[in-house]
Amino acid sequence: MLWVDKYRPKTLDQVIVHQDIALNLKKLVTEQDCPHLLFYGPSGSGKKTLIMGLLRQVFGPGAEKVKVENRTWKIDAGSRTIDLELTTLSSANHVELSPSDVGFQDRYIVQEIIKEMAKNRPIDTKGKRGYKVLVLNEVDKLSREAQHSLRRTMEKYSSSCRLILCCNSSSKVIEAIRSRCLNVRINAPTEEQIVKVLEFIGKKEGLQLPSGFAARIAEKSNRSLRRAILSFETCRVQQYPFTSNQAIPPMDWEEYVSEIASDIMKEQSPKRYINLREVNGIRRVLLTPTNYNLDSILRILLSTTRLFQVRGKLYELLTNCIPPEIVLKRLLYELLKRLDAELKHEICHWAAYYEHRMRLGQKAIFHLEAFVAKFMSIYKGFLITTFG
Amino acid sequence: MDMDYDIPLPEELESLEADIYLHDHQEYYPDLDLPEQDPPDSPPSTDPQINAQTKRPRSECTDSPFDDSELPSDEKRSRIVDDEEKEEQEDQQPYSPPPEVEQEEVRVVEEENTLSRYAFQIDGECMPVTAPGGDRVYAKICRFETEERLKKLNVKSNSNGLILEPLNVLLEKLEQDAFTKALNSSSEGQSDTSLPEKQVVHEQLWVDKYSPNSFTELLSDEQTNREVLLWLKQWDSRVFGSEIRTTSDEVLSALKRHSSIVQHQKSNNSNLPRNNWGHKWSNENFRQSNNLENEHSNSKGIQDLWNKKTRLTGPPEQKILLLCGPPGLGKTTLAHVAAKHCGYRVVEINASDDRSSSNIETKILDVVQMNSVMADARPKCLVIDEIDGALGDGKGAVEVILKMVSDESKNDIGKDNVAKEEQSGKTSSKKRRKTTSLSRPVICICNDLYAPALRPLRQIAKVHIFIQPTVCRVVSRLKYICNKEGMQTSSIGLTALAEYTECDIRSCLNTLQFLNKKKETLNVLEISSQVVGRKDMSRSAFDIWKEIFQKRKMKRLRKSNNSHGNTSDEFESLHALISYRGDHNTIWDGIHENILQLQYHDPVMQKTVKCFDCLGVSDLMHQYVMRTQKMALLVYQPSLAITVHRLVAQIQKANIEWPKSYQRYRTTLMGKMDIFKSWHFKIPPYISRHLSTKSFVEELISPLLHILSPPTLRPVALHILSEKEKNDMAQLVRAMVAYCITYKNMRSDPLPNNFGHEVALEASGFSFDPPISNFINFKGYLSGHYELSLAMKQVLVHEVEKQRIMQVSIGKSLHLTDGQKENHDLMGKGSSIAESTTIGHSAACVGADMRGDAKNVFNPRQCNPSTHTALSTLDSSRSASTSMKLKFSGDKKKPSNGSANFFDRFRKLSGKDSQNTDAAVQKATVERDSLPLLFKFNEGFTNAVKRPVRMREFLL
Repeated sequence: MLWVDKYRPKTLDQVIVHQDIALNLKKLVTEQDCPHLLFYGPSGSGKKTLIMGLLRQVFGPGAEKVKVENRTWKIDAGSRTIDLELTTLSSANHVELSPSDVGFQDRYIVQEIIKEMAKNRPIDTKGKRGYKVLVLNEVDKLSREAQHSLRRTMEKYSSSCRLILCCNSSSKVIEAIRSRCLNVRINAPTEEQIVKVLEFIGKKEGLQLPSGFAARIAEKSNRSLRRAILSFETCRVQQYPFTSNQAIPPMDWEEYVSEIASDIMKEQSPKRYINLREVNGIRRVLLTPTNYNLDSILRILLSTTRLFQVRGKLYELLTNCIPPEIVLKRLLYELLKRLDAELKHEICHWAAYYEHRMRLGQKAIFHLEAFVAKFMSIYKGFLITTFG
Repeated sequence: MDMDYDIPLPEELESLEADIYLHDHQEYYPDLDLPEQDPPDSPPSTDPQINAQTKRPRSECTDSPFDDSELPSDEKRSRIVDDEEKEEQEDQQPYSPPPEVEQEEVRVVEEENTLSRYAFQIDGECMPVTAPGGDRVYAKICRFETEERLKKLNVKSNSNGLILEPLNVLLEKLEQDAFTKALNSSSEGQSDTSLPEKQVVHEQLWVDKYSPNSFTELLSDEQTNREVLLWLKQWDSRVFGSEIRTTSDEVLSALKRHSSIVQHQKSNNSNLPRNNWGHKWSNENFRQSNNLENEHSNSKGIQDLWNKKTRLTGPPEQKILLLCGPPGLGKTTLAHVAAKHCGYRVVEINASDDRSSSNIETKILDVVQMNSVMADARPKCLVIDEIDGALGDGKGAVEVILKMVSDESKNDIGKDNVAKEEQSGKTSSKKRRKTTSLSRPVICICNDLYAPALRPLRQIAKVHIFIQPTVCRVVSRLKYICNKEGMQTSSIGLTALAEYTECDIRSCLNTLQFLNKKKETLNVLEISSQVVGRKDMSRSAFDIWKEIFQKRKMKRLRKSNNSHGNTSDEFESLHALISYRGDHNTIWDGIHENILQLQYHDPVMQKTVKCFDCLGVSDLMHQYVMRTQKMALLVYQPSLAITVHRLVAQIQKANIEWPKSYQRYRTTLMGKMDIFKSWHFKIPPYISRHLSTKSFVEELISPLLHILSPPTLRPVALHILSEKEKNDMAQLVRAMVAYCITYKNMRSDPLPNNFGHEVALEASGFSFDPPISNFINFKGYLSGHYELSLAMKQVLVHEVEKQRIMQVSIGKSLHLTDGQKENHDLMGKGSSIAESTTIGHSAACVGADMRGDAKNVFNPRQCNPSTHTALSTLDSSRSASTSMKLKFSGDKKKPSNGSANFFDRFRKLSGKDSQNTDAAVQKATVERDSLPLLFKFNEGFTNAVKRPVRMREFLL
């Protein structure tokens, strides 16, 4: 078992990072007045851990005995029947599912399955009418329609069922749902908190941590606890008696994005073969008497084909399931590192602009490439104006 | 001569006129013209219609007054024209009259040349002439004078003469007048009672009425016709038996010869044999064509080969004929006519019939395998029309045909024998085999060759693609029909119509009939606004991309004149083109794919940015339209494409590729997602619930790969690992079990010659079972991940297996004893205990292996039973399926003491182990590495047996 899983707090009492939230949740449960909850926050901040702790607090250790079910639901949608396949984790008292897995048909999941689950009221051993908890993951990926059909369900069956929603960004959850839930914002852990956790793990594992090493891991972790612990374990595996300047292995995809970024920036030194068409283009340029012949030649060599090369790499990233938003974000980050301060603001603006379009659109590659082209254009213009 | 022409003699003028008139007349009224050459008892225009009798009264009552009124007017017109022309000629060329004579001569010569057996050979209008003997030839109609006259008239109309209105307008008026007069007179002459009769008569469509009935009347491309016929002819030996074979061979060769001639020199208009059996002409013509043949020795060789082939095997190689082409070119007609011509009875299955595969199978079998006992004993030929039309049901037909053809090819050998028997004249044609073989020709007709349903058929069928017939042939045909129907048309108008409909004869005829019914004439200028709807021609995506990326050169020339009108024109045409196509998604993908390959001048990449903005907007729009289902908004897609065109279009040709990368990306993404999902499903829930795809690729995969292959793990025997290392190992195995990861042999067979890279190759042979390492295999990126050695991986595989089994049993027992307890911690503890024991075991095993090796090297002949035991133990402990392995070792050697307890044996061995020195082990490993002989076991059912085994393990 990896350390991430091994040292994951099982109860609300064991929580190190978000102790205040854990305390509040505990209070909430002990007062027997648990509302619907909406957990939101960046990945690796501990939403799921807190939810599991909460469930354990409510239902006792029985909540951990779950079975995985992969069921096909037949849904009668007017004229046709739709088969939906959905994986659920369920214990006696709660069900976990991610309705967004089924894609655009997610509203049927909400309308039929969740409603069905919410209706059935469990009766516990003492004959007391308990309630059931539905944990819905990735609510922000639900379509509008699905979210709208969720709101009535939440009200109607609130006596027998509690919903715990979990998502990364609450801005994509509609107002109506947010107002029906108690919103719990889970911040990404600060670096100090991460260091604390790492030191705790180190102590448990009996490891000697050189001073500053945990801080370095925390710094590199992007404030994601999961990532910090994983890199910590990686370091441990790579070289045990830690040295304080030990290399922390980077994420491969981040390295790759960084390669792309340097490709984009390196335009001035083309290292590629020239094909016949380009030779003809150059010949044409040379035959036409213009002021900046050399410039035109360079442009023919550089401008679009560099973009073509970038396209291949972007495709490569997207093929490996890396979400385009993250690619864009990382790319911006890498570009900003190498950029003149004058341009940073503008580039950020355009990155936001294209990310917005990307989220509205369907083909991420169009927008990613558009951003790269825009960047190239701006950067080139900048180079020409400043260096002539 | 000069005198003659300066002052033309009245007789000559008249004869000239008559000549002109005759020619004009001939095309208008062949019926009237023909009797000069025909015997009166055989009507030259062999109207095959069944309802000829019903038509008779009408034609009699309408035609006669019509003709009477028509003739004078026409004559008058031509006379006027002629006079004018004469005058004009006199004006223009007072000193050079000879051209007239020359033209006459030329015309005569041409006429000699243009006498032909086939209508198709004549390039232009022709007239059938039937000789008294029944032979029919086609004579070309030369229209030199008329043509010239037209030209001159045009010239005159351009130059402002004395007449206020242009001459052709006057002429048209005159024509109109005459026509209306004729109409009036005809309607006056008709009684009211005949009106309903007329309507009944008109029920029949011209398309059916004038559809070609014989092979020679076909309008479609000659070569295609010939090849279809040839193909059908090749069936003769099978269908009609051997008695007709000789003639058919002859005809076949003639056909072949002909088509090759057509291929090689199309201009040759020599008389060639008609493809009827036992034709009179054939002998002399054969000789002729043989001469020709000698010139083309190449084609002769081919032909000989063909002859041989046809002699050996009866039916053609491809059993199916697939005709394809745009609608209205006469595919169905060709199939019917050709089949009829070759003596078949046509059975047609078209889209209107039930085409489910079960129904169609019986139908096809009926047609293809049975002989009719009914009156019509001709063999049948199956024509499946519109095979691409219905996708769901149409497939049935394709499947049945495919099945039959594949059966055929399977039975081919057997059939050859039978064919030989047939050749020897033993069997009669009545006898049929029972197999579902294809013994009758099948012709399939489709519009779209690349319809997905036809993909399998395309591979086995002989494909003929129809091309448009030349406009003049279509026009002459149309003219003939118009004349028959008594409709006044001009050849210019017909040409325009034919061009407009892209030689779709059907739509031409329908239009003409419609016009005729409306009593309107075909107006050249108003074809588009008149009745004819333009066909919705959707062009291929490639054409559209070409239009977008390429500027038209012609347009550019015109740009100097009026740039504004040009741009709007261009806009219009592109807009129409793209919106007709409609498949915006593909079009945009194509633009995206190819745009970066274009060479456009773009100093600071502003154009590229704009283009990508257009792409982005189109994507947003598409997504919005799809989500809200507001299809009306799709109207705005083409304008975006036109923006791109304005930005990047170049004059030079762009090489355009079909957009594949996006699709490829989609499919590989799906594949990877599937891998992830199935893996995710296997991981126990207490881990998997915290993992999403995003967090997996973003945060987990790289560290996980690092953790799973620790470089600190020394590839040595387990028992010499320190306590700490053993702990690490145990942890690694536990992590692998928890994440359901193991190694799998990918069986990449190492090449025998590069033993130097043995380790590397072998290591690559073993890879992670859910192929998680693929997630970081970016193209052109070298990850710094350490890879374990093969031996280590093998050990890990067994450890993981063991651990998994152990965990299951522990989990069960825990569940049985105290289910209420928190079993995670306990399980962890229990498994760690189990882990340490198993590691101890396997360490001992490996140690035994080492020691055995050492002994083997040092004194190979002293193979004492204890090493046997050790090895067998090793084997058994290594494999998951112990029994398999035991059997294997039992086969090889004498059965070891299998009854002995597993752990007993261990104790013995470990005792021995301690006696061995480390040095021996070291030496053994060195020795082993220097002897890289592998033995691969290629039989058996499980991977446990299929493992590569070292040779020395057998040598013991």
